[in-house]
Amino acid sequence: MVQTRREFLKRTAALSAASYIGMSLPFSDSGIADAAVETTWHRGSCRLCGVGCRVELGVKNGIPVALRGVPESRTNFGYVCMKGMHFWKVMNHADRLTTPLYRARKTDTFKPVSWEKALEIAADKFASAVKEHGNNSVAYYGSGQALTEETYFFQKMFRGGLQTNNVEGNPRLCMASAVGGYLTSFGADEPIGGYADIEKADCIFIIGSNMAEAHPVIFRRVMRRKLDNPETTVINADPRISLTSRIADIHLQFKPGTDLALLNGMAHVIVKEKLYDKEFLGQYAVFKKGKKVSIDFSEYEKFLEDYSPEKVAKIMGGKVTPRQIREVSRKFATSRATLSFWTMGLNQRKQGVWANNLVHNLHILTGQLLKEGADSLSLTGQPNACGGVREGGGLCHILPGHRLVKKEKLRNQVEEAWGIPKGRIPPRPGYHTMAMFTAVNERKIKAMWINCTSPVQSLPNCNLYNRGMAADDTFIVCTDIFPTLTTQLAANLILPTAFHFEKTGVYGCTERRSQLTRKAIDPPKGAKPEVWIIREWGRKLAEKLDDPVIAQCIKPFEGLEEGYELPRAIWDEYSQKLTKGRDNDLRGATYDVLSKMYDGVQWPAPTEQYALTGGTVKKFVRGMDPMAETHRADDKKYQFYGPAHPDHKLWVWQRPQANPEEIPDAEYPFYLSTGRIIDHWHTMSMTGRVKELLRANPYSFVEVNPADARRMGIKPGDMVEITSRRGTNIMPAKVYEGPIEGMVFAYWHDQHPDRMINKVTKDAYDPGSKEPEFKICACKIRRVSGPKALKPYIV
Amino acid sequence: MKRLFALNLLLIVLFLLWACSGADDGGGSIAASSDFLHPELTEQEMLLPCFECHQEVTPDIYSEWYNSLHGIGMVKCYQCHGTYENLKTEPEASDCMVCHADQIKKCPQDRKCWSCHNAHTFKRNSK
Repeated sequence: MVQTRREFLKRTAALSAASYIGMSLPFSDSGIADAAVETTWHRGSCRLCGVGCRVELGVKNGIPVALRGVPESRTNFGYVCMKGMHFWKVMNHADRLTTPLYRARKTDTFKPVSWEKALEIAADKFASAVKEHGNNSVAYYGSGQALTEETYFFQKMFRGGLQTNNVEGNPRLCMASAVGGYLTSFGADEPIGGYADIEKADCIFIIGSNMAEAHPVIFRRVMRRKLDNPETTVINADPRISLTSRIADIHLQFKPGTDLALLNGMAHVIVKEKLYDKEFLGQYAVFKKGKKVSIDFSEYEKFLEDYSPEKVAKIMGGKVTPRQIREVSRKFATSRATLSFWTMGLNQRKQGVWANNLVHNLHILTGQLLKEGADSLSLTGQPNACGGVREGGGLCHILPGHRLVKKEKLRNQVEEAWGIPKGRIPPRPGYHTMAMFTAVNERKIKAMWINCTSPVQSLPNCNLYNRGMAADDTFIVCTDIFPTLTTQLAANLILPTAFHFEKTGVYGCTERRSQLTRKAIDPPKGAKPEVWIIREWGRKLAEKLDDPVIAQCIKPFEGLEEGYELPRAIWDEYSQKLTKGRDNDLRGATYDVLSKMYDGVQWPAPTEQYALTGGTVKKFVRGMDPMAETHRADDKKYQFYGPAHPDHKLWVWQRPQANPEEIPDAEYPFYLSTGRIIDHWHTMSMTGRVKELLRANPYSFVEVNPADARRMGIKPGDMVEITSRRGTNIMPAKVYEGPIEGMVFAYWHDQHPDRMINKVTKDAYDPGSKEPEFKICACKIRRVSGPKALKPYIV
Repeated sequence: MKRLFALNLLLIVLFLLWACSGADDGGGSIAASSDFLHPELTEQEMLLPCFECHQEVTPDIYSEWYNSLHGIGMVKCYQCHGTYENLKTEPEASDCMVCHADQIKKCPQDRKCWSCHNAHTFKRNSK
């Protein structure tokens, strides 16, 4: 019998259908019953995006065997995405780093060294750099995937111990503009509401976010809301039609970088048609065109005159009509409750803070805030960008508890909590990320610690910065679980670390929610938790620099067992001493409380009793937020007590449309944008090692609009060269009606030198947030050849 | 019930063996093993996402999935059916349990999920 592959597949499918429908079989022994008897389940958080899904890791005989969602969790209600389902499979991967590796020069081959020797080298290099080149010659570059205890302890050692504010992390690359937006519009970082608003929203406005792939479990909730309540309006505004657009009632497809005009155009309609909430504005808002320059409503109205729907539609490129702009503005303003989502499409922009302000403007103007279903909610990319980095002091200008470095009183509070002399923390912020890697290029940084991230691949215009990282002028320590392009190119010393569920600590997700993951299994022999590494390194550093203050920084943690007791002591110090009275008050979220909660605690949560209720669902609302009472300025319902607005008001900003740093021209006629795909995470060092995920998307491709493809002679699968003023990639084409005509799109996870798109992206950054403009640059494309067989590339 | 189950299982195995039996007759290299149902693929072919072939060869199933909640929510083929090393035509309840543990507890324990919720559309069977 001759059977082609196609026939075989059809037959197999028919067989499966028959077996699904026609036979009712009992569960096999390897199903639920088996798992319940032999597998122990350990609750924690997923670590592959900022949603904060709660999961349970199934462990059998000390080995991870399965993962499932936690149905009781208010973040994910038991659902997990493709990455989340499979990430545990990397835990026992043969590529796990288990021995410290050292090379004196970056062209040398790595050689295994003992932990004692490795820590000795690390301490010696940092101590020598400080002695010979000063405190600002050392730097820490961390991650939104590090646990809060890790980020907090690292920054304590660098600020209090080594006396430098050169403390940064990859969240600078993804959500710094959201921080800037929240601080300047609402006076306090992080959202007012949270995911609970999804099920109450009647209008959902998604801009600059492909949440179907980047935040799939939150997208599922939005999808469910739409399907269960078809009258809910979903508006998707994006230059690219994505999987998120599948549930949209209205898709606004615009030329990249023109969304500021759209948002001002919506404000224009809202003001013109008097759809704003006059009473809300009168009580709670002021209008600004500079931090110290207030304007009145009429001046703001006059500013908006320039953004008529007709004019805005033209600016946006002609695919959106004035009628659509009016329609979405009316929906936004008049729905019972409107909820906005955005992420990197607005944040990774030279005008990132402005774009955030303009979304907040719409919510303030219409009063679509502070009530059920209404919020202006920035989705976070990483699991602990909010909790560890924004709240724990992981950026160069902020100390733990949302304190600004530049304020002496706040520095003193931290010094007092740490028991170190006043004046120990330097008064000036350190290098922000792009300045830090510029300083590496300029040979100003002599010793650098890179933790749980791969800047060789993730920095924009990475060729430029990789030259500095590859040079022997900067000694680089990398702490990680797998080899990465950064360990390969830049590291002198690689320290193998424990993975998630192999150590204990807290993640704080998008919606101000802190959740504990407890150690469930031992790390591979030879790998160590970061908190242990920091402590042991710190002790040697104190000896080498003969500095008792460094010893003081680790003193509270000496002698503690590293799997649970050490991180708990660090969390206690941070939450009890440094969030007390701050807007992210976490004193109630002790390990004991967090262990009892399915889904952690939303701050502010000043007491354990309050934290056990789940914490604060809506900030600033009296009766819902305890700090709205303790920090009350008057008798009004809403109290905006955030540290950045002494007037306790919401600020509506006059922000004009402004072009990106680079726009297409005759030489580089296309826009390039980049983003995530559902199957992979960041630099693929984890997801590239899971067969299911790797095969689903083994290498990057460039999406080309069919009209452009016809013009350029590009067919699906053809190899296409993408070139900017900074670098070149070659990857296969995917031709489809995704990106708007004149724009191409590539995902950024691929490690292969030909397909590492950050060689092409631009490193211009927002002057306020210092977040780079990954999302827009100019490029040219050309067909290089027909389809080629490619291999995945994982170092 | 146990006897019925054994009979059904035997029928499936026999059907699978029959389905695979013509594999080596010149129609391309197809594995003739009851526990590996998929045609043999090269390493390179294994880098194609499942839907690349299946939207052509099993368009109805692809379409059902694409328009289902799993399709919109991007729960792809490999979650239920595995990848080439662990490929299975018929998923197990434990595959569903990753997300649906709570619902499974409430369902009749003597029936498979897809006896009520049709495979690939995931809509409730009207019967």
